[in-house]
Amino acid sequence: MDEPSHEGTNIEGESPRVEQTVETEEVTITDDAELERTLGLSGGLAIGIGTMIGAGIFVFPGLAAGQAGPAAAASFAIGAVVALLVALPASELATAMPKSGGGYYFISRGLGTLAGAVVGLSLWFGLVFATAFYLVGFGYYAVDTLAELGVAVGEGLVIPLALLFGAAFTVLNVTGTENAAKLQNGIVALLLSILVVFLGYGGLDAAGLVGEPTAPEQFAPFGAVPVMTTAALVFTSYLGFAQVATVAGEMKDPGRNLPLAMVGSVLIVGVLYVATIFVATSAFGSEQLAGFGETAMVEVGRHYLGAVGAFAIVFGGLLATMSSANASVLSTSRAIYAVSKDALLPRGASRINLRYGTPHVALGMAGGPILVLTATGRVELLAEVASFLHLIMYGLICVALIALRRDEPEWYDPDFRVPGYPIVPAIGAVASFALIGFMQPTSQLVGVGIMIATAGWYFYYARDVDLKGAL
Amino acid sequence: MTRILVPLAVLEGESVSAGLTALLEPMYVTVLGYHVLPEQTPPDQARDQYGERATDALEDLATEFGAAEGTADYRLVFTHDREQTFDRIAAETRSEVYAIPGATGPIDRLLVALTGDVAVERIVSFVGELVGDREIGVTLFLATDDEPAGRELLETAAVPLAARGIDVGTELAADRPPLEALVDAAVDHDAVVMGERAPSLLTLVFGEDAERVAAESVGPVLVVRNVDEVDEDPDQDPDDRTANTEES
Repeated sequence: MDEPSHEGTNIEGESPRVEQTVETEEVTITDDAELERTLGLSGGLAIGIGTMIGAGIFVFPGLAAGQAGPAAAASFAIGAVVALLVALPASELATAMPKSGGGYYFISRGLGTLAGAVVGLSLWFGLVFATAFYLVGFGYYAVDTLAELGVAVGEGLVIPLALLFGAAFTVLNVTGTENAAKLQNGIVALLLSILVVFLGYGGLDAAGLVGEPTAPEQFAPFGAVPVMTTAALVFTSYLGFAQVATVAGEMKDPGRNLPLAMVGSVLIVGVLYVATIFVATSAFGSEQLAGFGETAMVEVGRHYLGAVGAFAIVFGGLLATMSSANASVLSTSRAIYAVSKDALLPRGASRINLRYGTPHVALGMAGGPILVLTATGRVELLAEVASFLHLIMYGLICVALIALRRDEPEWYDPDFRVPGYPIVPAIGAVASFALIGFMQPTSQLVGVGIMIATAGWYFYYARDVDLKGAL
Repeated sequence: MTRILVPLAVLEGESVSAGLTALLEPMYVTVLGYHVLPEQTPPDQARDQYGERATDALEDLATEFGAAEGTADYRLVFTHDREQTFDRIAAETRSEVYAIPGATGPIDRLLVALTGDVAVERIVSFVGELVGDREIGVTLFLATDDEPAGRELLETAAVPLAARGIDVGTELAADRPPLEALVDAAVDHDAVVMGERAPSLLTLVFGEDAERVAAESVGPVLVVRNVDEVDEDPDQDPDDRTANTEES
């Protein structure tokens, strides 16, 4: 089989390390070793859901309801549709190229090195922004947990706690060798159970309360535009499915499990998000919800189930934001590895240390910037820039799919083909780019700035590297 | 010829003793060099850095087992899950036996455990094939509560070995914890051969019997795998499976 051709060197004389591999359901066979695929469908779903759920359910409801009213549910639904439109093409590409690096890999092979470099390096920063956002969310829940336990420390401790745990995650990922994947699966299962009980109860209650005191609120009190801007803001809740693609190289039976994990996790969290907003806005007016801020869900829990509900949500929020942060630290280090392997970053970035067998350089390159951004504490900016950089990648994933399909190279042989080609990827691309248009100008500026910087890096460092597949 | 899988954590410096190499000399050996990675590390990343070093070590090991005569090969696997890798490679290579390498000098006497629900005939026939016409003595060992039946089993099992001219002894441990008795008996022997048993709750808590025996007795342990697992045909293209085995 003809793999894409690769040549050229970066400024340090390193060239991409690409070799022929044979992919089977259980293993990737390279010329000198076998790489076991150890992640099953549940592991893939746990990464996707575990990354997404923390943001969408535990951090955004208050903020979103404040901006769009009960129509925030529509904002989440719009996000789910966009995510789905991208998850389908991404699944096809992932089954054709089940390699570490996910979106970056597809784009560099489908559209060439410049697009690849911009996306690959932007993905690094996008994940860094996302992780910082999860950590700040975690900080709010940590403070609320202390408050529930009777220790009122005030919001001044949100950022210090977020920083402390951000540093701890980075250190643990460098030194920890025990397998946390099983733990992650357990946490996600626990979270889903908490949410199903809570949403089930809240949903029944809300339906039974029709006509009760909470003044019947207009669905979209601020009109349609805030629904769209809110959709752009909360899109951070859907970033996790692409994280699944970053571990594509380790997924068992990728032809089946990758599409199921990506599409499945988007569907599951999408339904949960919409239900959460419905339940939350039924409990309180949206203005009141907005007043509760990042941890509005705790008050919703208290409203329906009293102290037990509040405690369950606080505990769930703590776990969910932690698992989001941890999963994205891991994805960041894999994203860095993918670009460094292709000589777009110095090779040293993918070094593994002998003592723990962990990629300490890449983890440091993730953890350092994460802490700096966490220190800013600007939840909405962090979320939007993360979404901006991811949406660029999502749009280009759709474009790459169309480019590959128009003139299919010999090596292109996906197990899963996107239904409704070319409409689905075309709408996916347009929708991804359009959503960016609804973001705050500051976020757009930061996002564009990062992309220009990554393009500049490409021209300085790796102009001669050629990654484009034989199209 | 029976194929024996010898899994070695090569990058952690695990190796085989001269005694084990000599013992396995007449058999077909696949050395499985493996490296277990924490989930933070993509297997590919580790291969980039360590693949060459591991391959060098494995080539040497395979040569010791007779790669030049075509009776040994090696596989190198980077994995997050050791058990999954062992099972896959054992099934793909159709290895009926795997070895836990321990420390030992020249092997003069084997302890063969027939305790419990194991495939006695397969174990005995493997031992006969392994020893061949070499000067290696065999002790058949059984721990049981039913002494007369146990003695009969041991004697029946000894017949084919004695017929091959092998020096066979028997040892019966009655009313004792089987594993403890086995470890005690292993003191006077250089290596242990035992059967693989279906995993139970106890094995989940304490680890597999064979690994516990290996840890306590220090010497090598050869484990005869469950036959139905060996027969299981992995539904894969044989070309994919053997991509690596023709090297060296």
